[in-house]
Amino acid sequence: MLTLLRRYGTLIGFAAILLFFWISLPETFMTARNWLNISQQMSMLIVVAAGMTIVMVMGDFDLSVGSMASLAGIVAAVLLTLDYPIWVAISLALLLGLAGGAINGALIAYVGILPFVATLATLTMLSGAAFVVSGGKTISGRAIPEEFGNFARGGIPLGEWGGVAVSLPNLTVVALVVVVLVWVLLEQTTFGRRLYAIGGNIEAAHLSGVAVRKLKLIAFALTGGTAALAGIMYASRVASANPTQGSGLMLNAIAAVFLGSTLSEHGEPRLLYTILGVLVLGVLDNGLTQLSVDSYIRQILVGGIIILAVSTSSLTKGLRSR
Amino acid sequence: MMQHNRALRALLSGTALVAASFTAQAALAQSKIAVITPYLAQPGTQFYVEAFEAAAEGKDWEVNVIDTAGDVAAVISRIEDMVIQNVDAIVLNVDPTQVTAGLQVAADAGIPVVGMDAGSDPLLVTNVTSNGYAMAAETATYVADRIDGEGNVVMFLFEAFPPVQVRGVVAEAVFGNFPDINILDRVTPDVSDGGIADSRAKMEAILAANPEPGSIKAVWAAWDQPALGALQAIEAAGRESEGIVITGIDANPQAREAIAAGGNFEATVAQDFKGIGTTAADVVTRILAGEEIKQGVVYVPTQLITAANADEE
Repeated sequence: MLTLLRRYGTLIGFAAILLFFWISLPETFMTARNWLNISQQMSMLIVVAAGMTIVMVMGDFDLSVGSMASLAGIVAAVLLTLDYPIWVAISLALLLGLAGGAINGALIAYVGILPFVATLATLTMLSGAAFVVSGGKTISGRAIPEEFGNFARGGIPLGEWGGVAVSLPNLTVVALVVVVLVWVLLEQTTFGRRLYAIGGNIEAAHLSGVAVRKLKLIAFALTGGTAALAGIMYASRVASANPTQGSGLMLNAIAAVFLGSTLSEHGEPRLLYTILGVLVLGVLDNGLTQLSVDSYIRQILVGGIIILAVSTSSLTKGLRSR
Repeated sequence: MMQHNRALRALLSGTALVAASFTAQAALAQSKIAVITPYLAQPGTQFYVEAFEAAAEGKDWEVNVIDTAGDVAAVISRIEDMVIQNVDAIVLNVDPTQVTAGLQVAADAGIPVVGMDAGSDPLLVTNVTSNGYAMAAETATYVADRIDGEGNVVMFLFEAFPPVQVRGVVAEAVFGNFPDINILDRVTPDVSDGGIADSRAKMEAILAANPEPGSIKAVWAAWDQPALGALQAIEAAGRESEGIVITGIDANPQAREAIAAGGNFEATVAQDFKGIGTTAADVVTRILAGEEIKQGVVYVPTQLITAANADEE
């Protein structure tokens, strides 16, 4: 019974939230259009949170993802203003993300700096770099090719729903692809299983021949890459790039992973649960806005829900083992 | 199980209570208006949002003020949510070119969007704002006249926000017209902490680099926070007697106090924030009545504030 509650408490809470919004907003909440909106609104956070899950599986975390997203958006935008083709701008920004993440990984795995300190330092550096590259300006307007902004506005038509044309937003598609790739990587490959082994017991993993350092480097590089991708998606959505625009992603991504991890058997992060965590945050934003609830109250609620979910999980665990 | 349920119930009933009070309001209201901004923490934005709400009070509107705390993409998301809610009008306070995706959704749904000090855009019905060109010209000419058209000037700019960016352009043009005025430094302060602390730090560095009395004649700031930061730096360095002239724009209460005190901070320009808010409410009223708004920008007059009139509000 307790196990059930610990495993599914967050899920029950989420269902209750959904039910509450559905009843309060009977006309608009549970509609295809609204859910496609939510999926699009959350697509960038899904990508960052998926990347964050990769390192949190090992018990590490990456504070620099928000700055990396900002910098990648800025770099892509600057390259576009210099008339580079869109694919070149995007590829270089993604490479930058992988490289930045690899530096994080190297600092943590080879130099031996704590992830908190290492990624806090790179957070500051990347954020500074975003200001330097952009000159502190928002890069917007005609300098950004229309196709770049149109991508985030477009989607795959799904047909009519209640007389309104609905389509699957491109940003949602990108997020889904990332989720599938990261899921396969973490759940279906030796690489993923080794990351979980490191998270379970790093000494044991090391002794049993897992190349801990190399794996950490790769994992952080991937996290950097997803952060950069999210930054590019953000830049496309706002058809501009601003040196601070990704900064909100980091805390929300970590919150989503924590929220999701309350659902897994031993409290370890699992990608699909992380996505559920993102959805909780997204649904709260969307539903509370539609109910005209003050946006600051939403922040208090999100914090409260995380505490509630995690404490339910740990209290029931304590009761069971007693 | 009990424990969990209790906590969950408490949470949900809390949410329900908040939500119920809002939906009760909705049942009485005739028109739903959403005000969306990432900048509610900025004093200027607070003033016009409050004035808008005050003007809306007698109008049988339900006004929903949404702050995304600096997140521009979230503004698009909230516009999408408001379109789903089928509001009657949206009032926006953010650079419209960055939220085109959301404006397009509103346009497709036929929901009018009015800019409140936002910037001009074809997807906005109109933008209600102060004339930023005129305000910057007021303080830049004040500086040029006070220093007799010669000497080093430090400029505090912020190009990421269009209404502030145009101020910098005009001030540059004014100073450029005086051959003996030299722009010593163009500083973009970090505004994440409100802008005063970082401006102070930047100004301290500039003062340290220019120790000679008279080597800095004036500080022109595109808004008040950096002007206040510069004032603190000059006073902390004990260089307030050098006659460095500081000007800001916006006339926030702290700036008025500093100007009234008669120190280096000599002038600022008062935007009529209340006027912007009320005018935006007027524009919305006219749109709801079916009127076509012809001007892409509706200007609200401003006023130069010096020690002579800093005490008046």
